[in-house]
Amino acid sequence: MYLPDFDYYAPESLAEATALLVELGPAAKPLAGGTDILVKMKNGLASPSALVSLKNLTELRDIRWEPGRGLVIGALATHNQIRDSEVVQQHFLSISQAAHQLANNQIRNRGTIGGNLVNAIPSADLPPILIALGASVTMVGPDGARTVPLESFFTGPSCCVIEPEGEILTEIVIPEQDTTGSTYIKFGLRKSGALAVVGVATAVTMDGDVIRKARICLGAVYKVPVLAEEAAKVIEGKTWSDELLEQAGRTAVGCCLPISDIRGSDEYRRDLVRVFTRRALKRAITQGHV
Amino acid sequence: MSQPTNAAGQPQNDPKLPPREYTHPGLPEPENKDYAVIGKSKPKIDAREKVTGQARYTADLKFPNMLYGKILTSPYAHARILSIDTSEAEKLPGVKAVITHKDVPTLKYGISPARWDENIFCSETVKFVGDKVAAVACIDEETCYKALKAIKVDYEVLPAVLDPLHAMDEDAPQIHPEYPRNNNTEIHQDFGDVDAAFKQADYVRTDFFVGNRTYQAPLEPHTATSIWQDGKLTVYSSTQSPHYFQYYIAREFGLPMGDVRVIKTYVGGGFGGKLEPTGLEFAGAALSKITGRPVKMFYDRAEMFAHNRGRHRQYMKLTTGVDKEGMILGVHADFIMDGGAYTSLGIASAYYAGAMLTLTYEFDNYRFDMHRVYTNLPACGAQRGHGAPQPRYAFEAHLDNIAKDLGIDPIEIRLKNARRPNTVTPNDYVVNSCEMVACLEKARDVSGWRDKKGHLPPGRGIGIATGSFVSGAGYPIYRTDLPQASAMIKVGEDGTAATLYTGATDIGQGSDTILCQMAAEAMGYTYEQMKIVAADTETTPHDFGAYASRQTLMSGAAVKQAGEEVKTQLLETAGQMLDFPPEQLEVRLGKIFAKDNPDTILTTFEDVARTFFVRKGPLTGRGSYAPPKLGGKFKGAPVGTSPAYSFAAQVSEVEIDQETGEVAVLDVWDVHDCGQVINPALLHAQVHGALYMGMGEAIWEEVRFDKNGKIANPTLGEYRLPTALDMPRVHSSLVPSYEPAGPWGVKEVGEGATLPTMGCFRNAIFDAMGVSVNSLPLTPEKVWSALREKRKADGEEVWDPMTCECYLED
Ligand SMILES: Cc1cc2nc3c(=O)[nH]c(=O)nc-3n(C[C@H](O)[C@H](O)[C@H](O)COP(=O)(O)OP(=O)(O)OC[C@H]3O[C@@H](n4cnc5c(N)ncnc54)[C@H](O)[C@@H]3O)c2cc1C
Repeated sequence: MYLPDFDYYAPESLAEATALLVELGPAAKPLAGGTDILVKMKNGLASPSALVSLKNLTELRDIRWEPGRGLVIGALATHNQIRDSEVVQQHFLSISQAAHQLANNQIRNRGTIGGNLVNAIPSADLPPILIALGASVTMVGPDGARTVPLESFFTGPSCCVIEPEGEILTEIVIPEQDTTGSTYIKFGLRKSGALAVVGVATAVTMDGDVIRKARICLGAVYKVPVLAEEAAKVIEGKTWSDELLEQAGRTAVGCCLPISDIRGSDEYRRDLVRVFTRRALKRAITQGHV
Repeated sequence: MSQPTNAAGQPQNDPKLPPREYTHPGLPEPENKDYAVIGKSKPKIDAREKVTGQARYTADLKFPNMLYGKILTSPYAHARILSIDTSEAEKLPGVKAVITHKDVPTLKYGISPARWDENIFCSETVKFVGDKVAAVACIDEETCYKALKAIKVDYEVLPAVLDPLHAMDEDAPQIHPEYPRNNNTEIHQDFGDVDAAFKQADYVRTDFFVGNRTYQAPLEPHTATSIWQDGKLTVYSSTQSPHYFQYYIAREFGLPMGDVRVIKTYVGGGFGGKLEPTGLEFAGAALSKITGRPVKMFYDRAEMFAHNRGRHRQYMKLTTGVDKEGMILGVHADFIMDGGAYTSLGIASAYYAGAMLTLTYEFDNYRFDMHRVYTNLPACGAQRGHGAPQPRYAFEAHLDNIAKDLGIDPIEIRLKNARRPNTVTPNDYVVNSCEMVACLEKARDVSGWRDKKGHLPPGRGIGIATGSFVSGAGYPIYRTDLPQASAMIKVGEDGTAATLYTGATDIGQGSDTILCQMAAEAMGYTYEQMKIVAADTETTPHDFGAYASRQTLMSGAAVKQAGEEVKTQLLETAGQMLDFPPEQLEVRLGKIFAKDNPDTILTTFEDVARTFFVRKGPLTGRGSYAPPKLGGKFKGAPVGTSPAYSFAAQVSEVEIDQETGEVAVLDVWDVHDCGQVINPALLHAQVHGALYMGMGEAIWEEVRFDKNGKIANPTLGEYRLPTALDMPRVHSSLVPSYEPAGPWGVKEVGEGATLPTMGCFRNAIFDAMGVSVNSLPLTPEKVWSALREKRKADGEEVWDPMTCECYLED
């Protein structure tokens, strides 16, 4: 439990940061809140030669609504900042709620949304709701900026499409949309400071009692957060009922491949996917963005 | 923003539920008018230091030239050490010493004299992942880790015993050659005639239960700083018992006890895990002797889990015979305990496991069989409630099964069998005060049991369980005729302050506070003028320390005597000064008056104490306490004896998510008979804390291992202690009680409230869903699984999540 030696930089601008990361090579890593990377370093699971702190890139802390684009969350926004943001609460209370369910207060004060995404653990709490709401992420590197849908951002446990040489995640955009409700349900083994055994996010577009469109994203039950598209198909275009949502829940179980580990068996996780898919759909349908 | 929700989708603060209310420690208790200082919620004597961060724990201490030390431990559960090469480590700059078994005494130690089976460092085999192999002392912590990495140990990996149920198999690997078949402790006790009782019984039932390995997880990691100078050793330690540390360290190094000084600093919790030397003291002493410099050693969180000494996992078979009315006629307890690689306090744990079952209910016929087996896992010891909480869970669950079979209300069956005062248990424990019946009745009434039982909405349930615990063990851990406790009070020369010197050990529970209250009460002084020097083997008189919930009664008795000695001398001098017969004088809160005229203050404590000093020198008082000879004559009879026993009943109400198995504990009512109360605020805090730990063990906590015997969750992230958000509403209350064996009628409270909790939750779940989870912890997944099994058995369709169409590739 001792932090190994590393070089430390705190560049003043995004351009300087990417240039520095290119110069230092892939053994250097960006540092945001440090709640993942410093822990890994202490446990001997990572040993970057240098940490490039992003703390001076204050523009990346911003959270705002841009008409035409949607909700823009800077990569350095902390979980508590997202939870407490009036803009977030006004447009997608569900994102604020998801941020509130993550880790514990101390971690939420430091940990950032960018770190949560780049860290790419399958049980992370922010990806499911962001994917369900169709978010995209922008990365800036030596060759300029690119934007990808979040659903194709993750490539495996602890792996994502970000280029190790100089790319920095800058912002997350949740587009303006006609969804009428969304929610994220986390099932953890205690009320605070527990990773998700299963996390289910749903977003729906309702037309009266008819489900026009639905997106269901499952966390902690596959190597990456996964969209349960077949489950959405079961309900789209139909008038909702408890039986229909149960059907969607059962279908969603076919869209995951959980492992058995210290937090739960695969069988338990699968059954939880059924239960929480049904509950999360019902909540988004009947309560809006919560 | 809106309320956070729980997994079931309900707001955490459901407006339909009554608002969260807590019993405010201290506030609602009626003032005890008979006493001036005790019976009042005086603020903790060290509260300010602690909350402002000024309190210095062992790890905060720094000494000139201090070195840092760490221990190298085994990566294998069972292996032979072929060679140890420390040469590379010794060459590293900043490394001052590297030691192995060759550099330290080879005398075996342990806390239980009957089985000294540990060495400072392993020489032939390592016996669990975490067993101690070598140690280093370096100029800083970072160098320690480099040095540990540079030590080369060649191991031959041996087959390991990880399953306690197979530890005694004929072909199981042997862990200690001295203990064939890995048989660490075997107990067979038989009282009355159990077979005849079962024959006579109208109904005999057998149940099986399994406990969990849990760990105390104190906030403060174990730390020791050792200073070996001029042939004398001083150890600052995060300890529950300076005395036992002093005794065992002196024994190990062949020193007279007078050359070993152990000083307790502030301690951030122990719960049983800091009662025995941890290895840090031994290694640190050896390193300090070699380097001539102070050596600070500590465990990090993962090392704490590996050192362990937490709760044993127990496999418990219970058979009970009752008559038609539910009167218990006989009980047979047949247990196996997973002891881990060493004995630790496990012999006592093993005895406690069965012995304490006789306390809360009266029955004459009792048989107890126990095997504590060695396994290649971390050693288990004493954890809050010692061996008793898991068997208590098992018995309370078993009793509810019987009550259900007979159609008797769970409280009724308990009231029928409840122990009465002035009785003797079949294993010869003498019970003086005992308000078991009052506890049960009050728990029934304050919880609204009659309105709730059988009338709660689906998914809600209510359960009851009892518990009882010793107020100090009747006999010390090693054989000695030293008294249990002693104390000294020195009044300052001008009488404006007095200092209590005691070996009693405050580890956060508040003994410094209540002992100062007791001293002030006995002296006729004020609490605010008391100071305390405690738990330093050089400056304070002997006391065995904080374990077995002993200090309020035992240390308190010594303090009371010391205080009364001060008072007698003070009043004598006052009598001379006032020309008044001293036996007609009284002193209260520092004011001296005639007994028959309390309104006229004749003089003050301060004035008289000053005069005493001028005339005779220091005004001091001394006290000591030894319990009467307790217990029967059979093997193991001393374990579980105590001058007094606390009794408690707990009721809990739970709500179960019937699809996920999640258990939300809504309310817990704890009703305690703990004798006269010295400090109500601290008493209720103990109930909250004990209940919190019991809850953790009941639903969340379990030390788990991978297939190689390595702990899978040695972190506070994955070893899930409940958080404040997981706590139910706690209602802690008391029944009037007075214990003749205790000073001012006191008994214990610190451990007793852990006992009923697990059983009471299990019984509430049983009431809610009709399913029994027969192993701890009662995790959501286990409840989910039990619910599914029940639905299948009831012929309901249960959807199988394993057989649906799969749309994903692996
Ligand atoms: C006790 C504890 C509990 C936790 N519980 C949860 C939980 O319940 N749910 C959950 O989802 N997570 C949890 N986490 C994980 C973690 O806190 C979050 O993932 C957090 O959001 C990480 O953010 P950070 O800013 O601290 O990342 P850092 O540690 O600073 O960085 C993480 C990784 O991302 C990279 N990175 C960071 N920002 C950028 C960027 N802008 N561009 C490119 N790369 C970047 C870093 O180089 C590093 O590799 C927990 C962690 C701890 C220690």
